[in-house]
Amino acid sequence: MIISLLMIGLVFSGGFAWYMETKRSGQAKFIALLATIILGSSFTLYIATSPESYAELVLLTKVTWISVFNIHYMIALDHLSILLLLLTFILTVVAILISWREITHRQGFYYFNLLTTIAGIIGVFTAVDMFLFFFFWEVMLLPMTALIAIWGHENRHFAAIKFFIFTQVSSLLMLIAIILMAFIHQQQEGQLSFAYQDWLTLTLPADYSYYLMLGFFIAFAVKLPSFPVHSWLPDAHTQAPTAGSVLLAGILLKTGAYGLIRFVIVLFPQASEEFAPIAAVLALISILYGAKMAFAQTDFKRLVAYSSISHMGFVMLALFAFNANAFQGVIITLVAHGLSSAALFTFAGMIYARIHSRDLREMGGFWRASPVMGGFALAFVAAAFGMPGLANFIGEFYSLIGAFQRFPLITILAALGIIGSAIYGMLLFQSSFQGPVKNSFIDLSIRERFIATSLFIFLLVLGLFPNLILQYSFNGGL
Amino acid sequence: MDLFALSMIVPQLIIAAGIVLAMLLVAWRRSQQLIANFTLFTLILSLVATIHGFGFDKISVTMLLAVDDYSRFAFILVLSASIVCLYLSKIMLKQVEDVHDEYYLLLLLVVLGAGILVVSDHFASLFLGFELLSIAIVGLVGYCRKAPNAVETGFKYLILSASASSFMLLGIAFMYAQTGDLSFTQTGLENVTLLKISLLYQIGFMLFFSGVAFKLSLVPFHFWTPDVYQGASSPVAMLLATVSKCAMFIVLLKCCYTATNLMLLQNDKLFEFIAWIAILSMIVGNSLALKQQSIKRLLAYSSIAHMGYLLIVLLISDSKGLNMAWQSVLFYLTAYLLANASIFTVITLMNRDSEVYQDITINDWRGLFWQQPLRATLLIFSLLSFAGIPLTAGFIGKFYLITLAANQALWALLAALIIGSGIALAYYLPVIFSLFSLEKPRDDLPPASMSILEKCAVILLIFTGLAIGIFPNAIGRVLQAI
Repeated sequence: MIISLLMIGLVFSGGFAWYMETKRSGQAKFIALLATIILGSSFTLYIATSPESYAELVLLTKVTWISVFNIHYMIALDHLSILLLLLTFILTVVAILISWREITHRQGFYYFNLLTTIAGIIGVFTAVDMFLFFFFWEVMLLPMTALIAIWGHENRHFAAIKFFIFTQVSSLLMLIAIILMAFIHQQQEGQLSFAYQDWLTLTLPADYSYYLMLGFFIAFAVKLPSFPVHSWLPDAHTQAPTAGSVLLAGILLKTGAYGLIRFVIVLFPQASEEFAPIAAVLALISILYGAKMAFAQTDFKRLVAYSSISHMGFVMLALFAFNANAFQGVIITLVAHGLSSAALFTFAGMIYARIHSRDLREMGGFWRASPVMGGFALAFVAAAFGMPGLANFIGEFYSLIGAFQRFPLITILAALGIIGSAIYGMLLFQSSFQGPVKNSFIDLSIRERFIATSLFIFLLVLGLFPNLILQYSFNGGL
Repeated sequence: MDLFALSMIVPQLIIAAGIVLAMLLVAWRRSQQLIANFTLFTLILSLVATIHGFGFDKISVTMLLAVDDYSRFAFILVLSASIVCLYLSKIMLKQVEDVHDEYYLLLLLVVLGAGILVVSDHFASLFLGFELLSIAIVGLVGYCRKAPNAVETGFKYLILSASASSFMLLGIAFMYAQTGDLSFTQTGLENVTLLKISLLYQIGFMLFFSGVAFKLSLVPFHFWTPDVYQGASSPVAMLLATVSKCAMFIVLLKCCYTATNLMLLQNDKLFEFIAWIAILSMIVGNSLALKQQSIKRLLAYSSIAHMGYLLIVLLISDSKGLNMAWQSVLFYLTAYLLANASIFTVITLMNRDSEVYQDITINDWRGLFWQQPLRATLLIFSLLSFAGIPLTAGFIGKFYLITLAANQALWALLAALIIGSGIALAYYLPVIFSLFSLEKPRDDLPPASMSILEKCAVILLIFTGLAIGIFPNAIGRVLQAI
């Protein structure tokens, strides 16, 4: 029930914010912030006080939805989804705070879209009926696309369409795979079923489980994104408003990883085993190519976007190594990258708010006027390239250790990506904060300091005490 | 023919009687309000009769007609679309000073034609319904003869439609030459295997199919569609998109889903012929819609693609899938009709407000969401429904189709469907984005004035669409029970 209430609550408070904005402007952001904090903390409270351990999927709700196809409204939680939901709430608060001054027109509708996106994402992380999962998978796209298309930068329509078409086409492939799985269930058990838990018991015919797996894999690889279906990401990230980039990098990419963990690897163990070498090569290409491309960018956001591709490559590489270390690495990387990339995008937004440009060539010397901001920027860049003591290091370390056992050569080459990330990270920092002063600049405001400090604390705590996360079992992937 | 069998076609009889009475009414007193209300009354009466008839088994009424619940459901769709069309026509005709009794008569004739088509079980009744529908629509297409292009449009439709029906007649004659029977079921037929290799029969079937394909505006018989949509008034374009296509598709299915023709469709050549038409319609229809500025032309091209998607159901290989195929078609048509009705409602309302623009382009809709949120919301949901995005009925319709195609292992068609849907997004989304555009909208955009009734209608359409999209079970269960 709690999850459904969260989603309904988010949609309704979005609607309420929209309505109140028409009455008196400037209210929507307060309502959105308040609603997110209340709903987020009630979810945390619920989990903390719940008697369940959530080591396995715990079914929370089951209601018949479309009886013709035996489709149910089924919501379940386990450690993985709880972790990702918590990340979602944290980043939502960040996203709302960063929009505080940036969004000046149509605020009510903006926050409505922001909150409905979150509602859809919550659905994605918790749905265990595959039709329902697909439903949320698509529904979360609509408000996200609206965020890009209405409040984005100069080339926003193109970016929004590209983003939407990439996701839609790939997810239709997944839809076909989902339907075929339901038919296989019908052949073996006598009736159609879209329930995830029912599918776990199926014995898949070897000859086409590979193709079914590919159907899912492509949809998630587009979202992750992996080479060669990554090209929507730099555009979408660059054109989206800051909060949109934060949500995209912080959470939407994680839905791809979540799908790979929960569905591809678990439902098709043999087929993914077979596919692992190809996936590892794709991951390697993503890592190196992402790093190379990031290095070549002159646009702050585009650079961070390409670095996301590179980092998500580590996730994919580790996932297809099938061992416990790698898997722990994936989980940490997901959270760490969510936080650190969100932080870098908020910095892009803050800089844009000050100098109205994302072009690195027009930046320089910010440190002189704003040492606090510079310090934080350096910290987040260091986090992104895997500085020990911050969460990303733990994630990449574990991922590489795990992956090395299976793909030694590929892992060695992939480790070069970390060096690459240090290079483009320093490039990013140097060209914006060091060098000759090109613009007048002001330091962080209290609100911005709050965002940066809290994100940094999360990264630091997880980097020093990764056990906070690792103590929970994420055996979904094994 | 006993009384019970006759009672099955009461809805059609009501329409027929309504036409005669309407003519008498015209002779008695010419009044726009009166005839419009009378037509509405006839349609609603027929709708009630159809709904009342639900639940009876398939019954043949003479050898020409056979009524079952599928045809009843289809007729409900036709009638609902006609009622919307009637409402829109009233709005449109208000601007013109003349009295327009003939318009409503023609509308009723179209409905009668569609009514015969959905229950026909014989090539003779098929042709009767086909011609009734076509000729009445020709009259409607060229009705506002002072409007630009009206005569041209009417002629275009007339000539192409006439040649389509002659092709169809030739095809029917070829088939008759082989079977000696004009009924769909062809009970007298013994040697089906002989037919499968009979070239004449196959050519006959292809010719017949081409005639129907013209009406459904499938590629390569689609050339008339954009011009006629654009040239005709919005309610008539809606009639073309909904009633005409819905009825033609149902009769095509009734004809093809007989034992003989199902076997025949196994024939590689015919299968490929239809599969290619379907694939081409999906790809070409969607691609041609890409660069359109005129909304009506865009809708015309997208309707080509939608009929292509629907054609998938014709290619099922066994009689077990029949039920599922019928359900898919009817659900898809419901979603398609609803979305069309919604968009054309907005177009007609905007036409009325502006008077100047005959043709609405994407530019005219710029920033509509911020000024007329109700209409824009309706537009957004119907466009999303066309694109097959969840929350809307169109998605469930597409889900039905994909399920069917996956079950029948029609991979090539599925691939075309996915590519087609991808292309389609590239023209639906820009329209939606332009609704949200923040640039200053056109200054000469007239202010929106909607009466309470119109507001209610728009809200009703929005909610129906969402309700079907989120709770498809309501319609799904009805269809399953048939």
